[in-house]
Amino acid sequence: MTTVYRMFKKKHLLFDDRFTKTMCMAITMISSFAFALYLELLLPPEQRFFYILPILVGLIIGWRFSAIIKAPATLNGIYNGTLGGTMGMMLGAVLQDPALCNIPIVSETMIATNMYSLAIFTACLHALICHFIRYSFKA
Amino acid sequence: MSILLLLYLDIMIAIGFYLYVRNNKRLIGFQLGMNICVAMGGMVALFMGVLLIQQFPFHFTWITIISTLVGMVAGAFYGILFDYQTFVTGLTNGVVIGLMSPMIGTIIDMPIVFNWFIHGFFILLLFTIIISIKRA
Repeated sequence: MTTVYRMFKKKHLLFDDRFTKTMCMAITMISSFAFALYLELLLPPEQRFFYILPILVGLIIGWRFSAIIKAPATLNGIYNGTLGGTMGMMLGAVLQDPALCNIPIVSETMIATNMYSLAIFTACLHALICHFIRYSFKA
Repeated sequence: MSILLLLYLDIMIAIGFYLYVRNNKRLIGFQLGMNICVAMGGMVALFMGVLLIQQFPFHFTWITIISTLVGMVAGAFYGILFDYQTFVTGLTNGVVIGLMSPMIGTIIDMPIVFNWFIHGFFILLLFTIIISIKRA
């Protein structure tokens, strides 16, 4: 993601507003989703501060990516980043405690398997979308 | 059983609408194209997650993966008709809605009402898109 950000910063004079807005939306949404999911799964759930942290991370990702161009894209990026952060936090909470959603999973090993498989799947999707965006700079 | 039939019907409607959009590709600008690929990718991912989790409630992980992949492929196919940017937009939107939709399917408590509601919404959406294609 840092690579994509540096490429954005370097080449931001080369393309128009619509291209920047589309790419900001795509990368912001999936990055904040993935980071919020990892944070929710990794951090201990006791402290009250950690409830807000994934949303803040999403907001900062969206703000940094969209601060490259003017104000409407900033709004778009902040909106998509906060949305992705909230959704990732929700998915992480459901994966940690499946009884929240009435999912009939009881054993501990099933919960752990679910967590690992969905986290790896999200990482694969993140890599795929980053690859598409980097490919679009070359084309 | 009726849920699987509904799912089959939705997939057929989505494929038929894809062929219709592909035939009228010349009429559609990139703005309408972006809206079409966001709407259709999201609706296909939503139907896949909600209906499959009602039919098979014991396979949460597999249904999440399947609905994400199907939403991604649907958004990408609708988007690649127009532009590279609509392709990326439809793909991302399909991924995010496909990851979310099985959770909606598990927490609703009146499934039949919810199924009728989203199908009515889908038909309304299709009519809106067809009218705006005719006007373009």
